[in-house]
Amino acid sequence: MKLTLHIWRQKNSSEKGHFETYQLDNVIEDMSFLEMLDVLNEKLVLEGKEPIAFDHDCREGICGACSLTINGIPHGPEKATTTCQLHMRKFKDGDEIWIEPFRAKAFPVIKDLIVDRSAFDRIIQAGGFISVNTGQAPEANSILVPKQNAEKAMDAAQCIGCGACVAACPNGSAMLFVSAKVAHFAYLPQGQPERKLRVLKMVEQMQKEGFGNCSNMYECEAACPKEISVRNIALMFRDYLKASCSEEKLELVENE
Amino acid sequence: MGFFSYLRSTVLSKVVMAITGAIIVLYVIVHTAGNLLIYLGRDTLNSYSAFLHSLGPILWIIRIILIVSAILHIITSIKLKFENWRSKPTKYAVKNYLKAKFTSRTMIWTGLMILAFVIYHLLHFTIRVTNPQHYYPEFYQPHNAVSSVILERFDVYRMVVLGFQNPLISIVYIIGVITVGFHLDHAIQSMFQTLGYNQKHYFPTIQKCSTGIAIIIALCLVSIPISVMLGFVGGGI
Repeated sequence: MKLTLHIWRQKNSSEKGHFETYQLDNVIEDMSFLEMLDVLNEKLVLEGKEPIAFDHDCREGICGACSLTINGIPHGPEKATTTCQLHMRKFKDGDEIWIEPFRAKAFPVIKDLIVDRSAFDRIIQAGGFISVNTGQAPEANSILVPKQNAEKAMDAAQCIGCGACVAACPNGSAMLFVSAKVAHFAYLPQGQPERKLRVLKMVEQMQKEGFGNCSNMYECEAACPKEISVRNIALMFRDYLKASCSEEKLELVENE
Repeated sequence: MGFFSYLRSTVLSKVVMAITGAIIVLYVIVHTAGNLLIYLGRDTLNSYSAFLHSLGPILWIIRIILIVSAILHIITSIKLKFENWRSKPTKYAVKNYLKAKFTSRTMIWTGLMILAFVIYHLLHFTIRVTNPQHYYPEFYQPHNAVSSVILERFDVYRMVVLGFQNPLISIVYIIGVITVGFHLDHAIQSMFQTLGYNQKHYFPTIQKCSTGIAIIIALCLVSIPISVMLGFVGGGI
C-alpha cells in the first residue's frame, strides 16, 4: 500500500505547529495504525530527521494512551476502536490521511501528536474515588449489587480516559468522561456515601480545567472507542441537580 | 449570590436553557395551533384574537413569562457559546462528524436568526409599526346578539392576508419559520437529555418526536404565507 500522510508537527507547546506531508510506500495492510507510524519513524531516523512523537502504551486497546485524530475522527474511522487497534486494511492504496493531535484548550500539545491530558487526572483526584479503609479484602457477598446496576457500572467503567470525547466535541467538553466516572460509582453501593460531593467536585474541577460546555450533539458518544453512552451524562445532570440542593453543596460553599 | 450566579455552573446554565426553551416551545406549539385558525375563516381568527385580547392581565403575565424566558435563553446561550469557542481554540484541518447534525451544530446561528425574525414579527403583527396600512378594524354582529348590535374588533385576518400578499414579507416569514424548525429539531430532544430524562427504552422515540414536531410546526407555519400568496386564503381581500 502507498499512502500520503499529512501529519501535524509541532516542536513544543509554545511554538506554532504545521502540517508536513510524507509518502510511505511499504505499508502492509496487517499493520496497526501505530505500527505504520513506527515504520515511518524508522524511515525518518534513517534519513536523519526528527521522528514523529505520538502517545502509545499497551497497544491492546485498553490503556487509553494512544490518541490521534485521523481524518477528522478521534481514533479514526473504525467504530469502537482505539488507534492502536485500527488496522491499515481499513484504508485503501493511494489514500490521503490527515493525522492531527486531539484538539482542545484543556489538552495543550506537548509535541507533534502528543497532548497533555493531565486535566483528566486532576478531575479524578477531585472526586473519582471512594474512601475505604484498606486491610483485608471484605467478604464478597457482604454488600449486594443488583445485576442490572453492576452491568451499568461496568459499562461506565469501560472508559479508558483517552480523551476522544473531548477531541470529538465541537465545544471541547469533557462531559462524557466525567459522567462515566460519576456513573461508575453512582450505580454501586460503595459509591453512595460520597455520591453528591463527588459530582459537585468533579464538575467544578472540569470547569476549572477549561473544558467547554455540553450542547448535546452526542459526537462524543459516536467517537468513544469504548462506546460510553450519553445516558451517563443525563445521570450526571440528575445527580448534579440533586446535589446542588443538598447539604453537601452548602458545606462546599461554606468551605470556600 | 445573585440570581445570575447560575451562569457559573455549566450544568445549571444548561438547565436554564432547557427550562426556558421548554416554555418557549410550548408557546410556539399553542401559537402555531392558533395561527392555523386562519383556515377556518375570517370570523374564527378574529374571534380568537379578540378572545386573547380580552384576557387582559393574563395575556400580560404570559407575555412577561415569555420575554423573561427569551432573555434568559439568549443571555445563557451566548455565554455558553463564548466559553465553547474558548475551549476549542484550534480547529481541525479535516473534520468528519459522526453524530453531530447540521441542526445541532448551528444552534447559535439559527437562534440568532430566530431572534431577528421574532423582533421583525413583533414589529409587524404585534406592535404593528412596519406596515400600519394593513391595520383595519372589522365591524361585525355577535352570533348570540338579541338585537342588531354592531361591534368593532381588530381585523387580524385582513392584516395577515395583506401582509402575506407581499412576496417579500412572505419570504421573510418562510425563512423565519424554517429556521425555527431547524432549531427545534435539536432543541426538543436536547431538553430531555439536559433535564436527565434519557433511558434506552424511550429516548429514541423522543428524538424522533423532536424532529417530527419541528417538521410539523415548520410545515404548518410555512403553509400560511404560501396559501395566501396562492390565493387559497383571503382571496377576496
